Amino acid sequence: MVVQAKKRELKEAQRRKKQLEERCRLEESIGNAVLTWNNEILPNWETMWCSRKVRDLWWQGIPPSVRGKVWSLAIGNELNITHELFDICLARAKERWRCFSTGGSEVENEDAGFSAADREASLELIKLDISRTFPNLCIFQQGGPYHDMLHSILGAYTCYRPDVGYVQGMSFIAAVLILNLDTADAFIAFSNLLNKPCQMAFFRVDHGLMLTYFAAFEVFFEENLPKLFAHFKKNNLTPDIYLIDWIFTLYSKSLPLDLACRVWDVFCRDGEEFLFRTALGLLKLFEDILTKMDFIHIAQFLTRLPEDLPAEELFASIATVQMQSRNKKWAQVLTALQKDSREMEKGSPSLRH
Amino acid sequence: MGWGDAEGMLWTRGLLWERVWNAVGNFLFKFLVIGSAGTGKSCLLHQFIENKFKQDSNHTIGVEFGSRVVNVGGKTVKLQIWDTAGQERFRRETYNSLAAWLTDARTLASPNIVVILCGNKKDLDLEREVTFLEASRFAQENELMFLETSALTGENVEEAFLKCARTILNKIDSGELDPERMGSGIQYGDASLRQLRQPRSAQAVAPQPCGC
Repeated sequence: MVVQAKKRELKEAQRRKKQLEERCRLEESIGNAVLTWNNEILPNWETMWCSRKVRDLWWQGIPPSVRGKVWSLAIGNELNITHELFDICLARAKERWRCFSTGGSEVENEDAGFSAADREASLELIKLDISRTFPNLCIFQQGGPYHDMLHSILGAYTCYRPDVGYVQGMSFIAAVLILNLDTADAFIAFSNLLNKPCQMAFFRVDHGLMLTYFAAFEVFFEENLPKLFAHFKKNNLTPDIYLIDWIFTLYSKSLPLDLACRVWDVFCRDGEEFLFRTALGLLKLFEDILTKMDFIHIAQFLTRLPEDLPAEELFASIATVQMQSRNKKWAQVLTALQKDSREMEKGSPSLRH
Repeated sequence: MGWGDAEGMLWTRGLLWERVWNAVGNFLFKFLVIGSAGTGKSCLLHQFIENKFKQDSNHTIGVEFGSRVVNVGGKTVKLQIWDTAGQERFRRETYNSLAAWLTDARTLASPNIVVILCGNKKDLDLEREVTFLEASRFAQENELMFLETSALTGENVEEAFLKCARTILNKIDSGELDPERMGSGIQYGDASLRQLRQPRSAQAVAPQPCGC
C-alpha cells in the first residue's frame, strides 16, 4: 500500500511539474506576443494589420495587455465620436437620472416621440440589468469598481442614440469593453460596434432582417454540417433559439469570458461573419452529442454551453468551418437573401394581411 | 399592465398547453414563462428544476429552457419550459420566434390554454404593493389561476407548475381538450419561412399571448 501511495505521489508530482512547464511556456509565448504587438505591429498598424504573420498571431488570441488597443483600432471610429461627445452624452444622462430620481418632469422637447415614461423605464432597466451582468465577477454591481463605468456607458448611449435606446444584451457588451478599455474609449468602441449592420439589425429588433441573418446562417450550416442540419430540422430546432443569445451578447454570456474575448479578437477583425462561423464551430465541436439529443436537450445544451469548453478545440473547430457556399461568400449569400425577402414583400400583396 | 412594474411584489405570468408526448399515455406539456424584467422568471424555473434559489443570475437574452418529468395523478408528464426575456421590445422577438406554436395554440386552442398568474417575490412582504385580494380579483376577472410564489424560499413554486399540469390533465380527462388534435396543430418546422412571408403588421399580434 505504501508503495502504491508513493507511486501516486510521484505521478502527481510529475503532473504538477508538467503543468508548471506548460504554464511557463504559455506565459513566455504571451510575453513574446506582447513584445511583437507593442514593438512591431501597433507602430506600423496600417501596413501590418492584414499581413499573414499578424493574422496568425491574431488568431492565437491577443494578449490582454494590448487587447483593448487592438480592438479599438480594428473596430475603428467611423462615427467620429470624440471624448468630448462622450462627456456631453454622459452629462445629459446624469441630468436625466437626477431629474427622474427627484421626480421632476422637466423634459426636453428634442427627442419627441420618446415619452418620459419610456425613458424612465429604460433607466430603471439599465439599473436592474447592471446588477445582473456578470454577477459572479462582483465588479459591476452596486459598490463594485466598474459599476459607475458600466452605468455611464449605457446611459450615455441612450442619449447618443435615443432611437435605439437600451436593449438587453448591451450591458454584457459594454462590460467586456470596460474590462479592456478606459470609459471614453469603451464608449467609442461600444457605439461603433453597435453601429455595424448585424448589430443594428439585432438591437433594433428588425425582425425581417434578423430572419435573413438566420437564413444565411442556415445556408452555411447545411453546407458545413449536413447531417446535424437535417437532425435540427427534424427536431424543429430553429437557429433563433440559440443564435439570439450568442449574437446579442457576442458570446460574452455563453462562453467563458477569456474564450469570449478570443472570439471578440477575431470578430473585431473579420466582422459579423465570424460570429456565425463561431456558431458553426460550436455546433461542429459538439456534433456527435447533439446528433443524439432531442429538441429540449439540444435547446438546453446550446443555451447553456459547458463551462469548461476547451478554447483550443473550439478554435480548431472554427478553423475548419468553410464560409463559402457554392462559391459565394457570407456577404454575398446575405445580400442575395435580403434581396429575395424584399422582393417577396413587394411582389406578394396577397400575403399582406 | 401596471402591476408588472411594481417594485417588490412582481408578477410573472405562465402560459401552457400540451401535446401528446408519446403513444403510451405519457404527455409533454409546454410551459411558457412570461413577465416583466426582473420579476423572477428564470429564478422560478431554476427553483422548480434544481430545487434551489439561483443567486447571482444573469438576465435572460432570448429564451432559456428547462425540463422536468413529474407524476401527476398517476400519470407521467414531461414538462418543457420556455423561459423568456423580460424587456418588452426584446420579448416581442422571443414571441415571434415562438410564433408558430403560439399562434397555432391560440387559434386552435385558445379557450383551452391554461394560464396561471404567479405573484412572485412573496418573501418580500414588506415591500408589497399589490394586495393578495387585488391580484386574486384580477385573476378571477381574467379567468386565470393564481398563486403567490417565492423563488427564494421555494414556496408554491412546485405547486404552480403542478397545478397547471393537473388542470390540463383534468381537461383531457373530461374531453375538454383533445391532445391528438392539438398535437397535430403544432408545427414549428417552417416557422422562419412563414414569417419571412408575413408582412410586418402581423407580427404585432404575437406579444400578448394570454390576452391579459
